[in-house]
Amino acid sequence: MSNVLTIVDMHKTYAGGVHAVRGVSFDVNQGESVAIIGSSGSGKSTVLRCINRLIEPTEGEVRLRGNLINTPSADINDVRSRIGMVFQSFELFSHLRVIDNITLGLRHVRKMGKKEAEAEALEVLEKVDMLDRKDAFPGNLSGGQKQRVAIARALAMKPEVMLFDEPTSALDPELIGSVLKTIRGLADEGMTMIVVTHEIGFARDVADRVIYMDKGVIAESGKSSIIDNPKTDRLKRFLSSISEED
Amino acid sequence: MIETMNSEGRRRDPLSFPSLFSIALMSLLVLSIPANAQEYRSGWDIIDSGTSEDLYSVESQGSEIWAFGENGIMIMSFDGGQTWELGESLTSSDLTISSSGYGSFLTASNDGTILVKSTNDSMWSDITFDFGNELIHGACLTGVSEFVIVGGNGTIWTYEMQEWTNRSVSGLDLLDVSFLDSERGIAVGEQGTILFSDDGGETWDYRDAPTEASSSRITDVEFFSEIRAYAITDEGGVIKSSREINTAVGFLWNMQYFESEGNSNNLGENLTSIEIATTNKFLLSGKEGYLSMSKDGGNIVTRQTIPLDNSTSFNDIAMIDSFNGVAVGSNGSLLLTERSGEDEQIGFEVMDFSEFGNFVDYSKGMLIDGLYATVNIVMFGIFLGFFLGVSLSMMKTSPTTLKEISQKRSLTVVRIAGVIFTVIGTSLLSHLVPIIRNLGLDGWEYIYAPIGIINPDGITGDLQFENFLFLILGVSLLLLGILLVSANGEYKKSHFNIRGRDIIWNPWGVRPLNFIATIYTDIFRNTPLIVQFLFIHFGVQIGALIGDPGAEMLEDSSNFVLSFLRDDILSNRACVSAIFALGLNSGAYQCETIRGAISAIPSGQMEAGRSIGLNYMQTMRLVIMPQAIRICIPPMGNEMVNLVLNSSLAMVIGYSELTRKAKLINAVTFQVFWSYGMVLISYFIVTWTLALFLRYLENKTRIPGLGISGGN
Ligand SMILES: Nc1ncnc2c1ncn2[C@@H]1O[C@H](COP(=O)(O)OP(=O)(O)OP(=O)(O)O)[C@@H](O)[C@H]1O
Ligand SMILES: [Mg+2]
Repeated sequence: MSNVLTIVDMHKTYAGGVHAVRGVSFDVNQGESVAIIGSSGSGKSTVLRCINRLIEPTEGEVRLRGNLINTPSADINDVRSRIGMVFQSFELFSHLRVIDNITLGLRHVRKMGKKEAEAEALEVLEKVDMLDRKDAFPGNLSGGQKQRVAIARALAMKPEVMLFDEPTSALDPELIGSVLKTIRGLADEGMTMIVVTHEIGFARDVADRVIYMDKGVIAESGKSSIIDNPKTDRLKRFLSSISEED
Repeated sequence: MIETMNSEGRRRDPLSFPSLFSIALMSLLVLSIPANAQEYRSGWDIIDSGTSEDLYSVESQGSEIWAFGENGIMIMSFDGGQTWELGESLTSSDLTISSSGYGSFLTASNDGTILVKSTNDSMWSDITFDFGNELIHGACLTGVSEFVIVGGNGTIWTYEMQEWTNRSVSGLDLLDVSFLDSERGIAVGEQGTILFSDDGGETWDYRDAPTEASSSRITDVEFFSEIRAYAITDEGGVIKSSREINTAVGFLWNMQYFESEGNSNNLGENLTSIEIATTNKFLLSGKEGYLSMSKDGGNIVTRQTIPLDNSTSFNDIAMIDSFNGVAVGSNGSLLLTERSGEDEQIGFEVMDFSEFGNFVDYSKGMLIDGLYATVNIVMFGIFLGFFLGVSLSMMKTSPTTLKEISQKRSLTVVRIAGVIFTVIGTSLLSHLVPIIRNLGLDGWEYIYAPIGIINPDGITGDLQFENFLFLILGVSLLLLGILLVSANGEYKKSHFNIRGRDIIWNPWGVRPLNFIATIYTDIFRNTPLIVQFLFIHFGVQIGALIGDPGAEMLEDSSNFVLSFLRDDILSNRACVSAIFALGLNSGAYQCETIRGAISAIPSGQMEAGRSIGLNYMQTMRLVIMPQAIRICIPPMGNEMVNLVLNSSLAMVIGYSELTRKAKLINAVTFQVFWSYGMVLISYFIVTWTLALFLRYLENKTRIPGLGISGGN
């Protein structure tokens, strides 16, 4: 199994002095899906955003297929086009129709022609089951539909790894299912992915590996079975606090 | 899901844009229906001169008038020009020259024949003189029996106390001379020669003709008053000199541009003489039946109808007072006016501007012209302003800091660049030091140095912008160079402890593009627009800098758009200046508006764009800007309406847009309320059309799902 992502001793201190990530290291292998769980403010989003350098890690290494990417000399746009990212709040381009949201990157990053890009777009829309709404504006879609379009937008770039930052947190319970189903489908097809999620059930069923973060460090990690048999007290307490909420 | 996707979420106004737009267009059309034909009667009456010889010149002193002509003919009138009698023939030379004043008349011929008489003496005395081989061309009385004669090759003679004195200067042919009093006089001649004397003609100094007239023959000059002198060229140009704050009349001469001739400086007429009635009112005579008058110092020159056919050449005009005058010409033609020759408009409905219908008939043509002129500068001003606004706002929001730029490069490269910048900066500045020192400034006066180094000798038209550029470049390269040399690879901000206070010094955090754009917007938003207009037009003379070469480049284009650009925009210097003043100013304000809209776009949009691999500029162009522009259509509408309203300031640089036309209409009709009222309505139509268009655009580009929804 080859490493797609390697993260070594990542630290992030924000401008205000918050030391959000304090030495996180892990690998993601080809075809593996990794779930990151943890309480609010534990630094999950920070880790994810440091990977495709939406924010710069203060220390540590991020490697994509062995190549160091958090150095000023790396071609950051190329790196980002190889890492798909899905945001909690969708971040669709509201002035563009669904199909144009998807072709934008294909045409201007992959330099495809209009026809070719649209054919590609239709294919990924089909995959996320949004083909019938291809000409709608994002403002006229439901939250779940929006998130599926956002997934399609990232998917169209044929990324080597996908990052999901709480893809379902902004959705109503009845809309979560369709999005999770889409992500599960991707995982089954062998897409390499990191999913930050509060859906413990989803993490257990879909993820090959689970990472539990607390206060900026990895407190426990292992096969998804650790959710049923937590070793550390911290994870135990976290899991019970979550089940109390439900 | 069945609804049509295209109309999804678009709102419709009950009054659609097309219908309102056509109402606005209709109003414009109604305004532009052509005026009724009007009849004019000449303001000149034919008077029997009693001769058929050509009359060359005419002079008046009170009600005594003399005209002189071919073969020594002299005719006189003692009743203000009503009846004329033939004088005794004293010479057979053509009497082409004349002068009057100090109760005396003088007439002369090219060959040196000179005759002088005083009003209370019926006898002419002959003071004919031999000027060698030179022909004489002009004469002017400077006192009782004292006068100055000018002629070929710089010939100047004075006659005082029965004594002839040669005051000739080396030079070209002098064609006319005019004295204000016994001391101050101006002589003019070939190739833009202008001479000035303030000692009764004893000594003469050369003055510069305006560049446009520097190779013209200046044939007639009138030193009218302490504040005004006029002269004409044989190409049909008028030049004038006015008293300015520290300069007397005669020092600075300007070419007159005629608004009535599309801002040309050439009337296209073979002018023979100029006669000044009041400071701003003059009459012109010319070959081929040309008589004309201006009441505003030459902006508008109106050709007059004459009661003779156009084969008559008019040679001279003499005004008895500011309304009564005599014009003389070929074949004994002699015309008299009581109204400065101004055409009489006949028909009761035409002259009476106190009737609103007549007033509108008269003024609508001028208003349409003004409207057209306003729309021109507004249109191009908006384009320029929008282009600048978008560019500047993107520069202003650019997040790239010096730190990021430097970090991308190795420390050695950064330091070497620092050394190079320091060297270039220092050498640029050292080149400027002597220039600045030569300006002769002291202490705080140095804040004006940037203006001084651009234009050190106060002569506009030869501006050294490179000096200003060097100053800016020199200072910024030097500072940047020092910073880069001092780099140690950390690019950290430094903290200073000054009296217990923590001062943060973070030059690496400077965003270069933001810095440049901020300087620009600060300059344009912190100076009055009217001063920007004046500075750009009269100071920088952007019309001459950009308009003239632009028009030259398009000289041969016959393409509709390009020839419009050339003829209606670029050839009109005031128009070019107005476009730049409006555009540059509006750009600064639009920049802030667009910047506000950019910061209203959620930061996630930029992240989303970057996360699929678009670079910063691509994300700005494809994701942020399209949304920001939509958001800022309403405030941009305000900016554009402001631009239309501000365009009225173009009148201060002499551009004949709507407001200026209102002043002109008012000057003719004296209907203040109606003049400005009509202009008000015209402005409203323009801005309202614009507002409708923007409203339409707003609806058309509305992003579904944004904005208020949820019913009432
Ligand atoms: N831009 C920022 N500037 C300063 N501090 C920040 C910034 N973003 C996050 N933080 C802080 O960093 C810490 C980690 O934040 P992060 O968003 O990574 O948490 P998270 O695990 O994703 O939480 P959640 O589950 O609520 O999304 C928090 O304490 C947060 O307040
Ligand atoms: Mg988060």
